[in-house]
Amino acid sequence: MSGWRAIPLLSRCLAGAFGFLLLAAPAVAAPPGKPKPAGTVAGLPEDKALALGERMYRQGLLPSGEPMPSVVNNDVPVAGTAFSCSSCHLRAGLGSWEGGIVTLPTNGARLAIPRYWKFPNLSPEERRELKLQNPAARPAYTDETLAHLLRTGRDPSGYDMHSVMPRYHLSDPDMAILIHYLRNLSARPSPGVVGDTLRFATVIAPGVSEDDQQAMLVPLNNYVARHNQFSAGFGNRMYLGVGGNEMSGAYRKLALSVWRLAGPPETWPGQLDAFLAKEPAFALLGGIAPGEWKPIHDFCERAKLPCLFPITDLPAVSDTDWYTQYFSKGYYQEGQAAARYLHGLDDPNPTRKVLQLVQDSPEGKALAQGFRETWAELGRAAVPETLLPEGKPLALAALEDLLAREKPSTVLLWTGASAFPALAALTQGATGAFLSARLLGSQLTSLPEPVRSQVWITYPYREPKLEAKYSLYADTLLGGLTQRHPETRISTRTYALIQILRQALMDMDRHFYRDNLLDRIGMQRDQILPDYLRLSFGPGQRYASKGCFIMQVGPGASPALIRKSEWVIH
Amino acid sequence: MRRNPWATLLMTASLWLSGSSFLAAQAPPPYTRTLETYTVPEVVLVNQDGAKVKLKTLLDSGEPVILDFIFGTCTTICPVLSAGYANLQTKLAATPSKVHLVSVSIDPENDTPKVMRDYLKRYRAKPGWDFLTGRREDIDKVMNAFNAYIPNKMSHYPLTLIRDPKTGKWIRIFGMMSSSEFVAECRKAGVL
Repeated sequence: MSGWRAIPLLSRCLAGAFGFLLLAAPAVAAPPGKPKPAGTVAGLPEDKALALGERMYRQGLLPSGEPMPSVVNNDVPVAGTAFSCSSCHLRAGLGSWEGGIVTLPTNGARLAIPRYWKFPNLSPEERRELKLQNPAARPAYTDETLAHLLRTGRDPSGYDMHSVMPRYHLSDPDMAILIHYLRNLSARPSPGVVGDTLRFATVIAPGVSEDDQQAMLVPLNNYVARHNQFSAGFGNRMYLGVGGNEMSGAYRKLALSVWRLAGPPETWPGQLDAFLAKEPAFALLGGIAPGEWKPIHDFCERAKLPCLFPITDLPAVSDTDWYTQYFSKGYYQEGQAAARYLHGLDDPNPTRKVLQLVQDSPEGKALAQGFRETWAELGRAAVPETLLPEGKPLALAALEDLLAREKPSTVLLWTGASAFPALAALTQGATGAFLSARLLGSQLTSLPEPVRSQVWITYPYREPKLEAKYSLYADTLLGGLTQRHPETRISTRTYALIQILRQALMDMDRHFYRDNLLDRIGMQRDQILPDYLRLSFGPGQRYASKGCFIMQVGPGASPALIRKSEWVIH
Repeated sequence: MRRNPWATLLMTASLWLSGSSFLAAQAPPPYTRTLETYTVPEVVLVNQDGAKVKLKTLLDSGEPVILDFIFGTCTTICPVLSAGYANLQTKLAATPSKVHLVSVSIDPENDTPKVMRDYLKRYRAKPGWDFLTGRREDIDKVMNAFNAYIPNKMSHYPLTLIRDPKTGKWIRIFGMMSSSEFVAECRKAGVL
């Protein structure tokens, strides 16, 4: 019973103790690390070894370029290219918990200290300070015991890891390279961790209206203020459900800077570099730009800086980039949905003739690109595309010539409401037209009534009739401090960002590494939040909402949207 | 004696967590094996080539079939299950048996045909291993039909289902198998 009594006493005094420790000694969060003398690793310069070690860890490739050989489940041979260390331990090395199997941390900071079953996140200094006496489950790893673990699955205390952990058959030089990488992996907290504060920033590009800025900034600042009103002790107790308690020491105050960009996009990288140098941020939260997000996306890739859920419908679309987590692929995704929906209708007789009429704007081009690339991925032949000048009415005579020449059965009309006068000509006969809900905005319900039965709309959000309860919930938590502006969905998206961030900060615990923040979001369960039908995650998944509905506009002056499809994802 | 309920909660959480960690380092528990009867739902799924597949026709064909539930970005369980499939295919190459391996996605939002193709390529899958995705409602029906429903993909568990071609019954294996155990179970089920 003494143990049961000791903990409450200890816990009562820890809030204050940690408050002191966190404020006065940020170094307690820093791992002791194992300084590596300058020199070589396996005969290679250290930076070269680090790059090769990273490739082993992330891609499962030996320095020779061959797959790393290993065995799982006692006798199942696996090539490293099937799955690698980072598949389970994740990019930052802090491990995962999935399907009842815990994958332990394998990052430099944790390998260099003993592991304890109880309160494993405390540093040796904190343990001494708190006079914790429980014995270590394993000692700190030496290079030799780490190599032994990687080869046999047995740790230096004699514990056998679960058989799902691959046992790697590595030569001594290859093993030295991998260990060199692990020693340096998440060995020191990332920039932006300053004393007891996690520093964030948000980017506002030129051309964003004051209303739109406030729709994002008010809820963000409100969240930061509410988070910061807690004492460290109470803040830590909020983390109870994820391995924390007031002994976790994971709570940090938050700070949010606003980085306002000016001038043309090609000058933004330089401005962002200057902001980051002046105010190192742990990550970017939200952010808003009227055009393409790519310049900021590319900066984040280069600076290895996470950017969480920017308010943009023009994201960079990439299968491999890492640092920006988006709500969706935006306009691109609507084009993608049109391709998938039409392909589904055509199966098994793909004879449809499609024509893309594309507004000469980033939005129109993103819609067309989403269709084009997905259509090709589905094995369909390329379709003709015509670029239309932005903001000008369609030249009907030229359009009729084009229709007579191409004879399409489906026209994808990636323009705004300026195309409405042409719709009667476009939908003559059996020809159907597709338009984008995002691009039409509030004009959507002004679609001329005679053509409504032949016009389909790509719609990236939850059905409007089901949206009210989600938005009302967001309104409540936005605290009445800002107007919601339903059409822009800026404040509701910011609300969704805050919900995901709150969970990610708890899951990150006190492992303040930028990659870990993204790893933890990747491990979150699906979220049902405003705007999007479902936000889903997974390691490396960077577009949380992945589908669209296909709608038609109903009859009348205040028409309802009529859903014509399931959630189109394939 | 009175115990501080808050402290009790803290202790429970920490013991629970240390118990969870314990799982990570202990030898795995032996897998469990039961014999089950399942009714395959009438759903149409999509395979890695984008082709529509009637699941009932595929699974009730009378050919030997093995089924599992995975997703393309799974961290731990699916890679190991899939390594087991890949290894079984290698072993099957030396036998006249034709076993159809089927993996059903539990992350249909992300697992498009392209994602599934790339996944199978990583495991050097040979013809005879199909990865299926579909509408979420249909995937839920499949999971429910095989008593494998999970509301959140991150909490799924290792499950392998082997259909006995003679009786149509399913051998349900809960847990991870070694290669030799997998082959032995296939032989026991009459699919090898």
